[in-house]
Amino acid sequence: MMPNQLIDLNRQLELNKEKILTLWFEAAISSYPEDTARLLGKSKNRFDNPVGNITRQSLEDTFDNIIRMSLAENYKDYTNSKHSQTNKEHVGQNRVENSLDPVIRIRAVQNFSASQAVAFVFELKAIVKSVLGKLPDESFNYRVDLVALAAFNRFMKCRENIFLLKATEAKRRVHSAFERAGLVTELTEDELLGSSKS
Amino acid sequence: MSDELKPDALLDRIDYTPAAGSWMDSTVQIMPGMYCYAAKAESVETLGLPNARTWNPLEDDWKLPENWQEIIHNAIKERLEKFRTFKVFMDICVRCGACADKCHFFLGTGDPKNMPVLRAELLRSVYRNDFTKAAQILKMIPGGEKLSGGRPMTLDVLKEWWYYFFQCTECRRCSVFCPYGIDTAEITIMAREIFNLLGLNIDWIATPVSNCYKTGNHLGIQPHAFKDMLEFFAEDIEEITGVNVEPQFNKKGADILFITPSGDVFADPGTYTCQGYLILFKYLKDKYGLDVTWSTYASEGGNFGFFTSHETMKRLNSKMYAEARRLGVKWILGGECGHMWRVIHQYMDTMNGPADFLEEPVNPITGTKFENAKSTKMVHITEFTADLIKHGKLELDKSRNANRIMTFHDSCNTSRGMGLLEEPRYVIQNVCDNFFEMPPNTIREQTFCCGSGSGLNAGENIELRMAGGLPRANAVKYVHEKFGVNTLGTICAIDRAALSTLMEYWVPEVQVYGIHELVGNALILPGEKERETDLRLEPLPGMEDEDE
Ligand code: SF4
Ligand code: SF4
Repeated sequence: MMPNQLIDLNRQLELNKEKILTLWFEAAISSYPEDTARLLGKSKNRFDNPVGNITRQSLEDTFDNIIRMSLAENYKDYTNSKHSQTNKEHVGQNRVENSLDPVIRIRAVQNFSASQAVAFVFELKAIVKSVLGKLPDESFNYRVDLVALAAFNRFMKCRENIFLLKATEAKRRVHSAFERAGLVTELTEDELLGSSKS
Repeated sequence: MSDELKPDALLDRIDYTPAAGSWMDSTVQIMPGMYCYAAKAESVETLGLPNARTWNPLEDDWKLPENWQEIIHNAIKERLEKFRTFKVFMDICVRCGACADKCHFFLGTGDPKNMPVLRAELLRSVYRNDFTKAAQILKMIPGGEKLSGGRPMTLDVLKEWWYYFFQCTECRRCSVFCPYGIDTAEITIMAREIFNLLGLNIDWIATPVSNCYKTGNHLGIQPHAFKDMLEFFAEDIEEITGVNVEPQFNKKGADILFITPSGDVFADPGTYTCQGYLILFKYLKDKYGLDVTWSTYASEGGNFGFFTSHETMKRLNSKMYAEARRLGVKWILGGECGHMWRVIHQYMDTMNGPADFLEEPVNPITGTKFENAKSTKMVHITEFTADLIKHGKLELDKSRNANRIMTFHDSCNTSRGMGLLEEPRYVIQNVCDNFFEMPPNTIREQTFCCGSGSGLNAGENIELRMAGGLPRANAVKYVHEKFGVNTLGTICAIDRAALSTLMEYWVPEVQVYGIHELVGNALILPGEKERETDLRLEPLPGMEDEDE
């Protein structure tokens, strides 16, 4: 794509941002049971309706980052770690991952499989196509793919977070107090990894 | 998929009428991360509760007694007669939906059966089927069962009950929004009583209850270890302040018996709150001669019996009073705990009270009568400390908490359960200069639960806990970003443990503190040396560079 075509597409995305975001949000929350989706779409108070409002905000931030993405970003930044460590676009990937964090962090504790948790990202392709009509080339879809990869990354990080909390909570809360007091010396693997029944 | 949900469709009202939709026919899928492990046979046996055996919620066969349906039917019948509220709550819900999006578990998990109205309907549908005339008549015509909103008690229904009544923390937030005051927590309490008749408790409740019954506290810590732990705290405090706080144990004829949840003694960060109590008692002893004793027998203020059955709650509660009688104290002072206070405030008097052998609590230092504790004879330490501060009886150095930028989480039980709203805030503001409230729809009577209350603070259901705690964490995150809040204060032992993990997942920059930890930092003990660290052995504000 020529630079001015890119500028043109980005301008189109900006102009239609509200419409696209509304559809994208609806697509994301339609992954919940219907009754839930209705309530999530209803209240605009971010404290009464955290999932709805955090999802909306996170999608908006991600969308803004998609517009900011440059053509130079490519799959290699994700697949080749050595490459990505030194590549200046790594910053861009982090930016996308950070903007996805709030929505993914929620979905990581809601019993979604990994694919269900990130599927909403792909819906953006069809939505943008339906709003803007024919796109000049594949570059936009390609950007969405990069976002999807970032979403998988973040989902994995959140799940690791959860596993770690699960594995160490009892130890950190109860056993560390005993250890400081010198009342226990060593713990078995079982005690460390078991549920916090002690 | 996306074009099915137009914005106006989103605004549509959901139909909460029981016969609508197919929710009643669905079979429940018990998901990992959302349920707690089954009670160990051994613990159920210790308590003498029925059907002790090894079983697994994920297996088809729950090894129920043969006549389980009859047991449930009779249990509901008995409770309808015994508890008027239960009968009323079964009958009067108009399914207006006002409670639907008020439950933190619904908000966090997105599972419609966590809407309080549907949670209650799980049981109500069986009530309707078994106990109402309309249903009896409608049952005779084909399809009539559906019309009445009733359904027969099947194994699938029981499993659904079990799954969802262990996804309710009995926090009562929903009741605040119900025009009829229907308290879904009470329905959950009944359901859990029924589970216990079938041997269907979870282990995170049953084993602590059994421990408490045997050794006096939830963790099953023996009296000597309890004493060791407090003495170890005293050593730490001496290192920090130069003063030996000398805790007293099982002292007959002391003025006051102090009882706190064992989490304060054995689990971080409650242990620092515990050190705060010790400092306070030493101060009151030196300055005013107040004689406070700990008990190694009544070593648990919490009462997981409350999450088991009324009868079990009563048994565990009675030991605190038995110990107060044995020691001959005037009254009982209780530590920072949540459900312990709901038990004292709402149940103790009818269960084991009135505790006539104790005196009506009066603060001997200020002369204040604790009117609300007149009958139970047990005073919340936040109220006690607030009273001391109000009368200028404590010498406090706020600057020692200057690095704490505070917000306060109202525990469900102390706020909605007993109306203790101002005292903790008053104490915080007297020991620390930086205090910022979370938004009004997330605090005081409308506070969001930590997501781990009522015995659900296990490890295996961590996804449920993190999802259920999201509305709370979301409000903390807001004040963290807006005001730089780095400390979440709380007056509940379960909160101190549960919110710490919750913060690590959602707002890792925020640490959890008990209020008396802050009191312990600020209180100037007679004869103390210049402190360099706080109770966590971290440098005090302004002392950060001294050891370099
Ligand atoms: S009591 Fe609390 S956890 Fe239970 S249904 Fe009501 S709001 Fe939800
Ligand atoms: S608010 Fe009360 S009456 Fe309305 S649906 Fe909920 S429980 Fe029923």
